[in-house]
Amino acid sequence: MLPEATRYLKATVSLFSPNVFLNASKLSAHGAPSSLQTRRNLRVSRCLAARIPPQKKPREKVEIPGLDMVTYGDRMHYVPGLAKPVFPPWEMSFKDPRYYRSPPAQEMALYKDKPCYVFNQRTSILEGVRQAAWLTKTHVRPGPLPHLISLAAKPENQLPDQDERVQNAIKHSRFWDTTEPRPRKEKYSNTLLLNLLHLCGSLQLTHPAVGRRILAENYSLAATWKRGEDLFQIRGRNGLLHCSMDPLPRICGEQEVLETSDQVLESFYPVSPTIDLQQVSVYKEEMNCTGFKGEYPYPHAHTLYFLETSDPNCQLHPEQFRAKMIMFTFGNALARAHKLYGTQPQSLLERPITVQAVGTNGRIFQFLVFQLNTTDLSGDDGIKNQAWLDEDVELYDFAKVRPFIKRKEVKVPAGLAGYKPETFSKFLALFLHGAA
Amino acid sequence: MALSCLTRALRSLTLSQPALLSSQTPVAQLKLGTLVPSTVSQCRGFLTTASLKQNRAYLKQLDKYTIRPIGIKKSGGRDHTGKVRTRGIGGGHKQKHRWVDFQRLRYEPNKEGQPFEEKVVEVRYDPCRSADIALLAGGNRKRWIVATEKMQAGDIIKTSGVIGRMAVSANEGDAYPLGALPVGTLVNNLEIQPGRGSKYIRAAGTSGILLRKVNGTAIVQLPSKQQVQVLETCIVTVGRVSNIDHNKRIIGKAGRNRWLGIRPSSGLWKRKGGWAGRKIKPLPPMKSYVNLPSISAN
Repeated sequence: MLPEATRYLKATVSLFSPNVFLNASKLSAHGAPSSLQTRRNLRVSRCLAARIPPQKKPREKVEIPGLDMVTYGDRMHYVPGLAKPVFPPWEMSFKDPRYYRSPPAQEMALYKDKPCYVFNQRTSILEGVRQAAWLTKTHVRPGPLPHLISLAAKPENQLPDQDERVQNAIKHSRFWDTTEPRPRKEKYSNTLLLNLLHLCGSLQLTHPAVGRRILAENYSLAATWKRGEDLFQIRGRNGLLHCSMDPLPRICGEQEVLETSDQVLESFYPVSPTIDLQQVSVYKEEMNCTGFKGEYPYPHAHTLYFLETSDPNCQLHPEQFRAKMIMFTFGNALARAHKLYGTQPQSLLERPITVQAVGTNGRIFQFLVFQLNTTDLSGDDGIKNQAWLDEDVELYDFAKVRPFIKRKEVKVPAGLAGYKPETFSKFLALFLHGAA
Repeated sequence: MALSCLTRALRSLTLSQPALLSSQTPVAQLKLGTLVPSTVSQCRGFLTTASLKQNRAYLKQLDKYTIRPIGIKKSGGRDHTGKVRTRGIGGGHKQKHRWVDFQRLRYEPNKEGQPFEEKVVEVRYDPCRSADIALLAGGNRKRWIVATEKMQAGDIIKTSGVIGRMAVSANEGDAYPLGALPVGTLVNNLEIQPGRGSKYIRAAGTSGILLRKVNGTAIVQLPSKQQVQVLETCIVTVGRVSNIDHNKRIIGKAGRNRWLGIRPSSGLWKRKGGWAGRKIKPLPPMKSYVNLPSISAN
């Protein structure tokens, strides 16, 4: 602090009684005074106490109806013995967005008694994939789709020098892309994803349908659905989207879709399926938005790409990350279904909507293919949606800047080690799905 | 004169040090005890304490329960005047406070009155107490409780407030009223007044014994062999508190005590008085927390 200010404050403190404290009512972000009274310690000292003096209760103000308090308001200055005048709260005559106080939730126009449970991009649900499957009425099958693997195995769907180019892409993102010794995780995972997309995009010469797609980022998704008695919404921005002019073909035939009605969703009693979801009372019903307005030329969501966030407050475990992938893929599919077929729940869509998702942390990939068969999600029985989830597929084992040496033995050498080519073939297969 | 000093100080502070402004309180109204200077209330708020939220009093004022650990400031044995009140406290590893819910029978907002079950998500070390804590998830909420001896992640734990005619065969970790448990069970986290939260038998490895049940009250023996009479509707947890080998640990070196925040005692030899040495006394009489109606109620 300034020595001048310190001198003045010390002088004032010495004039008052030893402990002078200002009672400051802390205003919350909305402008309404919060119940917490933070008391400021006016003692300017280096050590800031962990224990503060007990708060003295202010003198009780007695209100006698019919009796007017004589205040010093008229006299325009303090008079000992007279009461403090209470003025009506001052409001600005014009509307200034910098000093706007929002009304409490009950007085908002969109307030509803029934709460809505919202899943946003920062939600980390306790039960992970099981809870996401229950919320979206999905039957999740582990393992990759066989016909996608066979798609990738065909020679015309492979890049020339595929392994070498992918390894160069990994080395670029992990080693060469920085002036510091090592690039940070969020940087290298982002660079790796863009490099891989660039490699896949080079197949546009042989597959012209790839040119009918575009990448979109930071679009806001909104989808609403009813599950049992509760209303659920997905809101938020999930990252990178590959959208195309043509929809993806359906994965499962009609027979298998009807067979899903025999499968039972996993329950996780005693935990409720709405745990960890944000409860809001002020919401718009029937909020469905694919993220794009009007006649967008690329309306069909093809693949979503998820990266791990760098925000320390919402670090997701792998299970919760996969759950987020499922929820947002479902959200995109549902928003598209509502746009095509209307918001009335339909037990079987004649053209199921397929959306894919890829999630990565820079080394480990999760592949998801989701097929939306039904929008009638209120009951637990009936036709379910389907998802095929390929968990924890590594692209490479190690990418060390400095070799890992233990007891004078090089355990892991510097550079890229343990490259697995199958992972990129799966990535390419998901990319070319619908175009080959 | 005091007023003008203060206003000058405040004016100089606001002009030169806008960085002191707390980002969370852009407009803070200051109000002195008896003086109401109009100039002070119009100037922008400034922060005189660096972090208001980490003193111990803040923990008592929070109203919304959260499972996130809350930062606390170490007191060093000092009280609000700044002088040492308790010797031998200071330093040690930083600790974050996890708000443990001691009122085990806490119903969710819309589900009053029914016994409920919860699932143990994880059992972990708590730096603020000798026992371990467990994260329970049930319904729509998660909360921390003091873990019992054999609690593990994945267990289902029952909490009930119902006293039936027959005594319940309780599993470890479940919480029942004293009237519903058989005599002789090991209990912990004892409430002495129903609904007030557990105050007794919370330390690592401790357990009380339910001795007998006497028309509407129950008598429990605490770990210090003291007997206590409480209403039978008080909720207790069954079993021993976790971390049972806590009293058998060996500190090993002076440094480990310093890590725990225990400062060395003075090395000066002092003559011990009448307070020292082993005392063999009869047990104190049983303490009753039950307000029985007085006999002479005319």
